[in-house]
Amino acid sequence: MPESDAQHLTFKLVYYGPAQSGKTTNLLRLHDLLAPELKGEVMTMETKDDRTLFFDLLPLGFRAPSGLLIKFRLFTVPGQVAHDGTRKAVLSRADGVVFVADADRAQETNNGESFQSLAANCARVGLDFEHLPMVVQFNKCDLPSAVPEAEIRERWSAAPWPLVFAIALTGQGVETSFELLIRTVYRNFCQKLKLQSEHGLSEDAFVAGALGKST
Amino acid sequence: MTRGFDREWQLDELLDAASQEKIGPALSALLGGDFALTDQAGKALWGQPSPEARREALILELEPVGYLLSSSATPAALSAARQLMQNLLRAQVRFKMASTLHLESVAEDFESLKREHARLSESEARYKALSGELEARVKKQVGELEERQQMLYEAEKLASVGQLAAGMAHEINNPLGFVRSNLTTFEKYLGKFGELKTHPGPLAEGWQALDLDFILEDGIDLLHDSAKGMERIARIVADLKAFSNVDRASQEYADLNNCLREAVSMVEARIPPGIQFRLDLLPLPGIVCLPGHINQLFFNVIRNAVLAIADSGRPGEVKISSEADETGIHIRIHDTGVGMTAEQIGHAFEPFYTTRPVGSGVGLGLATARNVVQAHSGRISLDSQPDAGTTVSLFFPTPP
Ligand SMILES: Nc1nc2c(ncn2[C@@H]2O[C@H](COP(=O)(O)OP(=O)(O)O)[C@@H](O)[C@H]2O)c(=O)[nH]1
Ligand SMILES: [Mg+2]
Repeated sequence: MPESDAQHLTFKLVYYGPAQSGKTTNLLRLHDLLAPELKGEVMTMETKDDRTLFFDLLPLGFRAPSGLLIKFRLFTVPGQVAHDGTRKAVLSRADGVVFVADADRAQETNNGESFQSLAANCARVGLDFEHLPMVVQFNKCDLPSAVPEAEIRERWSAAPWPLVFAIALTGQGVETSFELLIRTVYRNFCQKLKLQSEHGLSEDAFVAGALGKST
Repeated sequence: MTRGFDREWQLDELLDAASQEKIGPALSALLGGDFALTDQAGKALWGQPSPEARREALILELEPVGYLLSSSATPAALSAARQLMQNLLRAQVRFKMASTLHLESVAEDFESLKREHARLSESEARYKALSGELEARVKKQVGELEERQQMLYEAEKLASVGQLAAGMAHEINNPLGFVRSNLTTFEKYLGKFGELKTHPGPLAEGWQALDLDFILEDGIDLLHDSAKGMERIARIVADLKAFSNVDRASQEYADLNNCLREAVSMVEARIPPGIQFRLDLLPLPGIVCLPGHINQLFFNVIRNAVLAIADSGRPGEVKISSEADETGIHIRIHDTGVGMTAEQIGHAFEPFYTTRPVGSGVGLGLATARNVVQAHSGRISLDSQPDAGTTVSLFFPTPP
């Protein structure tokens, strides 16, 4: 459930996935691509070999017609297997997840293990994995060794989550992933948070506010 | 409001009193004397905000967490001070988030370890139980193997004893036959010889003088004794043959109750007085068996029962009962005779072991009995009290 008081509503969105799949790159590109009313700096906590040790954070925000300030705090988790405790702590209280998989065929096992750990950690931190708003992004589709889109679609055909094929390096698919996620988030919380009824926010307005452009 | 690393940090959390004491005077000096710091709601943390003061917001993420105020500073100086403070606060918030997250993740790892530990303890307990179970099973199987081994050994022993017995019986039967027939002939000859006494002639005097009356009479007695001895030998040989015959003959479908009745009627023919039979036979399923051997088995056991009562010198009863359950057929032959000591029971199934005086039997009764039972995959056991009686329990499995 998002944190809220009379003037604020904060959604925590988490970019989860195996190490080096492009989570940090997603945040960096979003920072460049999006132009919401309020946009903070990307705060990265990286070790010198460029692997995220703790997390990255990108804050975004816009004001609803009612005056409510809606904030999004986008986090990434460390992908390395050793950081499972940190992953759990970052994942807890998440309102939505973008699972960033690495399309490189050599990374299939890592993707699988990471996805398993997401499901397991959701249970541990008290998130309902079944109903958690989620988008699955296959990144690095530019790689020659990337698994073809058709094959991935075929394999994920039974899964309920939207699939996005991305090249985070160039920004392709990054915004779409974010947009699809916040649409699901909106539908998930619209009723509970009276987004439409009290704050005058339609789904499209919500998305437009978050992206900083009319959709 | 959660206390997680990802909360939105307040200014007074990031700048504790000690840091305020250091920063306050420094900024005052830099900003020309007047300086105040408030939180986002306007509450002063350092200095006194004057109403005409210039104000700069301190922003970490999206919204101000507090304000810098000064009436003495130039706009450029105040803006530079804001940059300085923001950098300081951002470094501080990174440190706070990182250290709080570190604590949370250590706690999480600790929780995982505890869960892992609980799982390990549980599986250790399971394995302990399993290993105990396995040990018991192994013990049981070793026991079974040892028992089988013993049975095989006994069976081999019996087989070789059986062969020896068969050979002996065969060898003894020949001389036995002609000695018996010679004895009969010789008795006839003696009769002829006795006619000398009444034969007219001078021999009668010599008869008297040599007391041939006595010799003739005693000679016939001796022959009768010898014939009895021969009979006994013949019986022993017959027992030996029966004993050695166990693995031969053909299988038939039979009702064990009929076998029991036949054996009883055979024993009853030469039963001493004062011994009663009581039969308590419930319907039994037919089984495939060697009826000749089964008869022999029942005959031996029942005859033993009768002899045990005779040995006690009291009247008594042989009680024979049979019944079937889903596993097989149970037969019990109980007598009220002399009974056996524990030591006697221990030896009872050994061939040539007998408690009777030498000469009254070869002691093959129970050994044969067990041979027969084992050939039918059955079990035989003895339960006895000296002077109270003996119960022989037999079990024959029926196919499921
Ligand atoms: N070829 C290719 N490389 C990418 C793409 N996205 C990210 N990378 C590279 O993959 C590496 C890991 O990216 P990063 O965002 O740090 O991954 P993270 O560990 O998930 O945060 C970096 O060297 C990126 O430049 C992509 O779409 N295509
Ligand atoms: Mg990273």
